[in-house]
Amino acid sequence: MTTAGSGLRAVPPRLVTVNLLGAVEHPVLDGSPYRVDRNGCPYVPAGDGGIVLGLELGDSAFALDADHAAPGACLVHPDPAARQALAAYACVGNEVRVRTGEAVGTRGVVLGKRGEEGRVIAGFAAADLARMRPGDEVGVRARGQGWRPPGLPPEVAVMNLDPGILSLLPIGLPAAGTETAAVVVGVRVTVPSRLAGNGIGRPAAAWDLDLQLPPPGPDGAGDVALGDLVAVNDLDVRYNMGYRRGWVTVGIVVHGASPLPGHGPGITPLLTGPAAALRTHADPAGHVGLTAAALKLQ
Amino acid sequence: MKVASNAARLVRQVLTGEVWPPLADRHAYRVGPDGQPFLLPGMGGVTLDVHCGDPATGYASDHLEPGASIRHRDPGANMALQFLTCVGNQVRVVSGPAAGAAGHVIGQHAYVLADFADAAAAELTTGDAVTVLAVGQGLALPGHPQVVVKNCDPGLLAAMPGGTRPDGRLEVHVAARVPAEAIGAGAGMASEYANTDLMGAYTGLGPDLSLGLEGLRIGDLVALADADHRYGRGYRPGYLTIGVISTGQCMMFGHGPGPSTLLSGPSSAFCLVDDPDANLARWLHQQPAQSAPDPAVIP
Repeated sequence: MTTAGSGLRAVPPRLVTVNLLGAVEHPVLDGSPYRVDRNGCPYVPAGDGGIVLGLELGDSAFALDADHAAPGACLVHPDPAARQALAAYACVGNEVRVRTGEAVGTRGVVLGKRGEEGRVIAGFAAADLARMRPGDEVGVRARGQGWRPPGLPPEVAVMNLDPGILSLLPIGLPAAGTETAAVVVGVRVTVPSRLAGNGIGRPAAAWDLDLQLPPPGPDGAGDVALGDLVAVNDLDVRYNMGYRRGWVTVGIVVHGASPLPGHGPGITPLLTGPAAALRTHADPAGHVGLTAAALKLQ
Repeated sequence: MKVASNAARLVRQVLTGEVWPPLADRHAYRVGPDGQPFLLPGMGGVTLDVHCGDPATGYASDHLEPGASIRHRDPGANMALQFLTCVGNQVRVVSGPAAGAAGHVIGQHAYVLADFADAAAAELTTGDAVTVLAVGQGLALPGHPQVVVKNCDPGLLAAMPGGTRPDGRLEVHVAARVPAEAIGAGAGMASEYANTDLMGAYTGLGPDLSLGLEGLRIGDLVALADADHRYGRGYRPGYLTIGVISTGQCMMFGHGPGPSTLLSGPSSAFCLVDDPDANLARWLHQQPAQSAPDPAVIP
């Protein structure tokens, strides 16, 4: 038995790494092939889960006429509770490895997650992804929940992020020992919380948040790319995602647009805190988020 | 509401359901906006003492569902019950000590929510069978083609104030106006199922959470700004959705009192009248005869 004493030094808890098992999803449709879009028109949803080819980090979230298309393979688990755990514990940047099928041994990286039933989006080099098929088993090296990087202001929470890829993102932490300073994050765009759609009111550890963004203008104005960081004002995602004035949340764009009302490009939240401690700088033209090159997926 | 409609062409269907119990898991606690763990009643079963016209918030409750919460045991039949039942539909208890009691639907929340007088509700519990006389889906207003009507009993529509104005707009009385920032859980879901939780009504919690909605009452008609619920629930500048508050107090973050959708269309198609009395209590509780069941259909 140990006793907590006043002489003990506060040591950050050590992270736990867990091997999880996912299977590449097969798309699922109900009895009808149609969904109804925001204008009341029926459409057949293509790209909503499973393996989507030809879509990569850096592509516009509006590049394809698809529904929630994600850049890579969606991983699921046949047991619903295990599927939720897979989504909750996997973090952006976690390494994955294909365990069965033609692409066995191939390395990939978790690029994001999707909510409700739970999906992990795993990115692979295009040639590797083309050799994969639904049902292939993929191991996920889950690590990151519970992590706090040194120097992160105490009011700011971090989630869904593998410590190993912090340096690949435009996230500037104050130097250690200066906890009163703010973390500064570069983003593609900052949007108001009223654009938050499906995912609001749900736990950010296991759901993404769809943003009801309008399509970009002809000159590309307002566009966001897969892998971009995006800020949402007045949104607190520590304990479910909800409205809190003066707060800001930064997430990474993990899937593309959707014709469904209340849906749109989705973000997996990474950082949330009061705006004074979590500062964002939007650079619509020059922002660089998470890239395949940085993840060595090419 | 003085407005032409196709009410005479709607079918009525007899649906069945039963009072469904509250559901919990062995971990018990949920988490509030500031990380506070809570265990509070509200969803499922029969919730007493809260009726249309009463405050929606201020209770030690989460997802407060006034009255009886109703589902069907068969999953497919349950979806039909949830989709086809409309606000204002008549509900009759057919088993248990409250058999014969009549109530009416006040909304949907993945349960059909039915309000009964306290004396009847006190005798009602889990498993008691009910009959719902479902009518309303398909209701349309030929003079207002841009306005989609859903989840609305024609009797309720007739009892509401307002109607077609000389300028062609549809006059609707509302007790509160809700900003787009308040839209919480339910965004992106079908607007014939469950409801749209409104954030910013956390009575007693921090001012940074408030959107000024703490005064909502159960049964209030509300106008949701920039909300298009014609084919689901989404943000759309220049559109308007009218709903009725069917659920109350929430502690869970991103959730709150929720309107079931009744009308949606471009805001230019509506003329809103701010009216503190725009509440189901004014039309359904005091005028039960208006939605009395047809004795030929329900014995």
